[in-house]
Amino acid sequence: MGIANLLAGIGVLLFGSVVTYSASQLPYRGEYGPGPGFLPLWIGIVLIGCAIVTIIKAVRQYGQEKEGFVQSKTRWVGFVFVTLIVTFLLVPVLGLSLGLALFTGFTMRAAGRHSWVLCIVMAVVTAAAVRVIFGVMLDIPLPKGVVGL
Amino acid sequence: MDLLSNLLTGFTVALTWQNILFCGLGVLFGQLVGVLPGIGAPTAIALLLPLTFTMSPTTAIIMLAGIYYGVAYGGTITSVLINVPGESSTVMTTLDGHQMALQGRAGPALSVAALGSFIAGTLSVVVLMSFAPILARFALRFGPAEYFGLTAMAFGLLTVLGGGDPVKIIIATLTGLFFATIGIDVVSGVPRFAFGVPELLGGIDPIVIITGMFGIAEVFNSIEEEVRTDILKARFRFRDVFLTWQDWVQSRWGILRGAMIGFVVGMLPAGGITTASFLAYLMEKRVSKTPERFGRGAIEGVAAPESANNAASISGFAPLLALGLPGSPTTAILLAGFMMWGIRPGPMLFQNNPDLVWGLFASMYMGNVMLVLMNIFLIPAFVTVLRLPYTILMGLIVVFSTVGAFSANNNLFDIWMMLGLGVLGYLMKKFHYPVVPLILALVLGKLAENSLRQALTLSGGSMWIFFKRPISAVFISLAILAYLFPLVQWAIKSKRRRGLAEG
Repeated sequence: MGIANLLAGIGVLLFGSVVTYSASQLPYRGEYGPGPGFLPLWIGIVLIGCAIVTIIKAVRQYGQEKEGFVQSKTRWVGFVFVTLIVTFLLVPVLGLSLGLALFTGFTMRAAGRHSWVLCIVMAVVTAAAVRVIFGVMLDIPLPKGVVGL
Repeated sequence: MDLLSNLLTGFTVALTWQNILFCGLGVLFGQLVGVLPGIGAPTAIALLLPLTFTMSPTTAIIMLAGIYYGVAYGGTITSVLINVPGESSTVMTTLDGHQMALQGRAGPALSVAALGSFIAGTLSVVVLMSFAPILARFALRFGPAEYFGLTAMAFGLLTVLGGGDPVKIIIATLTGLFFATIGIDVVSGVPRFAFGVPELLGGIDPIVIITGMFGIAEVFNSIEEEVRTDILKARFRFRDVFLTWQDWVQSRWGILRGAMIGFVVGMLPAGGITTASFLAYLMEKRVSKTPERFGRGAIEGVAAPESANNAASISGFAPLLALGLPGSPTTAILLAGFMMWGIRPGPMLFQNNPDLVWGLFASMYMGNVMLVLMNIFLIPAFVTVLRLPYTILMGLIVVFSTVGAFSANNNLFDIWMMLGLGVLGYLMKKFHYPVVPLILALVLGKLAENSLRQALTLSGGSMWIFFKRPISAVFISLAILAYLFPLVQWAIKSKRRRGLAEG
């Protein structure tokens, strides 16, 4: 985990620096007591401290990696992530229920190798269930998109 | 008499058809979630929160609580039949439960787990009903200093008891605290960390963070993990499910010891149901006259941890309801649910919402009876659910997470936020950063910050206020000791290493 910890430590260092800088722009003291920047500033400072400890530990561990970051199925994580991005980009056009239905059908076919019939049935069931349960029964104003579903 | 009249009030609330129905649905869903290895109790509750928007808070809490303690029952089925715990709280059950199944005794293993859980769960509700109001009365003395001390102690204990690298736990806690500060500061009206994004001015809704970090992140993590589903060809004839007299004699004390350990451990912040089941198993092995049977199919090795995890899941409600302090990720999400309905758990909850509190307690009796019946009669049906392919389950999780995140504020920005937080949750697990402290800090963040600022305002900026008041001094001292503990441990280890190198 040496390199992974090093990368994570650098990430936390950057995050802590952003928090500290942004918090330093806020008032540290208010009229009667601590201001809105008080706690966030200390959060940022301690984060930077923890990041430095993590980086030092990671450098010491370097070369002792027991497991790789990328595993055989990591590409499927990337696949689902990209599919979700495409789905969410299409929501303004297709609507939420149809978008999620296509996601379900597509991932079942591409990742699960299920039959076309099952994938289509599941997609239709998903669209109907989302619209009926959330849209009608729970009265959530789901985005309908250009298609109107 | 107070207790009895309160309980009567509780049953009047719980025994309406809506509450019976949703309690039943909750425990059934909890069982299903426990059976499925790819989805945990916090995720299940996070995903179902939006479904409860139109319910009354009491019905919603009764259903969500049913899911929570139902999960502890359901996880047992996979532990016994496929040697894969459905939940971390049933890890210890695999040791003897699966061995019993291999010996053709899957039925008694599942039955003793159900019976033990029922007895321990019921005992736990009885003690909880007596204990929680006392804790709530004690907490009426709390001011800002005590509340800040309490949250600091919870974060500190999580660092020591949470397991794993303390530095990573602190980073996760601080990240959760940071998320809680996003949006307009309620005291000064100054926007914080919105970075020009108008949707962030109201803060990030806890539901968005929870659906992202549990729902979407769990999808990503489960894709990478191998999930075995080769189910043992067990016999599930009705008569095979019942225990023999000898089974009962061997397991009865284990059930009672498990119940006691579970109740106490479940109340500790970061104690949790997993630790309870682990300790109960170790205790049972230690007191046994035949410890060599453990790991080879000892029925008390199933009874004790199963009783403990159910007792702990119920006693976890004591600090949540009386102090507003969640001790586990699931109770943290329940706290987010309470807040969503405008209810603040804490000492005043018992006075302001007695119907909710006592209705919830009464529903736990009903839930436990329903669970034991479901466990005996529906096991073959649950085994069928185990065969559900993950690609179908994944679609369901994504649908519930997405709609849940959207419905928090009815805007698409939250869906993108959920996806980003899902990636963060996935990376945190890959890099071995725990998510639980983040969620706990997120839901307690506002209470911690407001109490800190109020206390310091009262004291004119002096930190001495936290040590001047006895209750707060105890909490803060425990927090400081908890944070110092890893340093002391590290110093001792370094000294030993140096000693070994020199000698």
